[in-house]
Amino acid sequence: MTIELIPADRFSLQELTDLYNQTRVDYLVPMPMNASRLGDYVHDFDIDLAQSCVARSADGEALGLCMLGVRHHQTWITRLGVLPAARRSGAGGALMDCMLENTRALGVMEIQLEVIKNNLPAYNLFLRKQFIETGEYLIIRRAPHLSPEPLHGDVDWLDTDKALEALQSYPHPLTWINAPESMQNAHDVEGLHLTLPDGSAGWLVYRNTKFTLRSTLSHLIIHTKQGNPNEVGTQLLLNLHTHYPHHDTYAENIHKEDAHLPAFQTLSYFENFSRIEMIRSSNI
Amino acid sequence: MARILYIEDNQDNITLVERIVTSRGHEFMSANDAEKGLQMAFDVHPDLILLDLGLPDADGQTLSVWLRNDPTLESVPIIVLTAWPEEVARHTVEAYNLDGYLCKPFTLAQLVQTIDKVLNKKSS
Repeated sequence: MTIELIPADRFSLQELTDLYNQTRVDYLVPMPMNASRLGDYVHDFDIDLAQSCVARSADGEALGLCMLGVRHHQTWITRLGVLPAARRSGAGGALMDCMLENTRALGVMEIQLEVIKNNLPAYNLFLRKQFIETGEYLIIRRAPHLSPEPLHGDVDWLDTDKALEALQSYPHPLTWINAPESMQNAHDVEGLHLTLPDGSAGWLVYRNTKFTLRSTLSHLIIHTKQGNPNEVGTQLLLNLHTHYPHHDTYAENIHKEDAHLPAFQTLSYFENFSRIEMIRSSNI
Repeated sequence: MARILYIEDNQDNITLVERIVTSRGHEFMSANDAEKGLQMAFDVHPDLILLDLGLPDADGQTLSVWLRNDPTLESVPIIVLTAWPEEVARHTVEAYNLDGYLCKPFTLAQLVQTIDKVLNKKSS
């Protein structure tokens, strides 16, 4: 099949949204979007639509799409999807090759992506394109409810600037969506800093996203500066959920080995699904 | 007869469920995203909500919290209709204190049975 690749900036957000949703109708994890949500996604995660692609057949039928986030030292492949009827036509591979070529042309060395665990067709495609696994990350969530655990310590609530300042000091790698650039773009970042009576201390940074009628908490990142991560993490989360007792909350891309996972479990977070992070160099 | 609100973004699913629900004598209405669904729930006060978890503006889980947080809607039963794996659906229903779930693809008989069970429980 002849596959034509067209820069995604030649399409409206609504056209891209409609195509994206069609590629996900039978997906492992249902994640439909509307044009507004896709617009936020493009903005928050530095998606360059001129470097992103729509695949079409020779007769002009859309086959799939793929988007590329671009930052000075990395690119990020995301929203790759092929319509069910166009699978096994080479469209996915052609879209990936386009993203790799665009990354090379930008002079960027590292390319990263995440794939839903057990999405074997996509995972195998990425292996064929010489990506290697670098970590497993969990998407966890918590329904609001009162926790019987007592609160300890002194809490300072952080405004956006202070929360971003804290995030800049995070000592471990963060995936693209939780990176300081993403959180800065989002404009809805808040945080809290906690000091416990024994001198233990840490912070929690998160997004408080406002919808028309309500809001929700997401993209939680916890760092223990001193002390036991489970104890510090538990108190940070307790303070957050006491402050926002009615908010639904989810945390994306928490590393499977994150020392704060027991704290999340103590606060009744449960796993929704997991992602595998993969990277490769652009000059292979 | 009950008033049933289905919050779902897939029009094919809405059309199918509408046929089933109305054939059983219930009143049917639908919304294709979370915010419209919440507003419609405020407006019509349904007897039962059928909720897709994968909505285009906010997750179905998040919408269920918004619904449960409102004193006028907190007791409205919610059945989740989802493409998520059964384990995730079951855990979601337990954690979010919802009333039942059906994992797609489900049979029409399962849908009717689940709706009847939840409505009967509500009226008893």
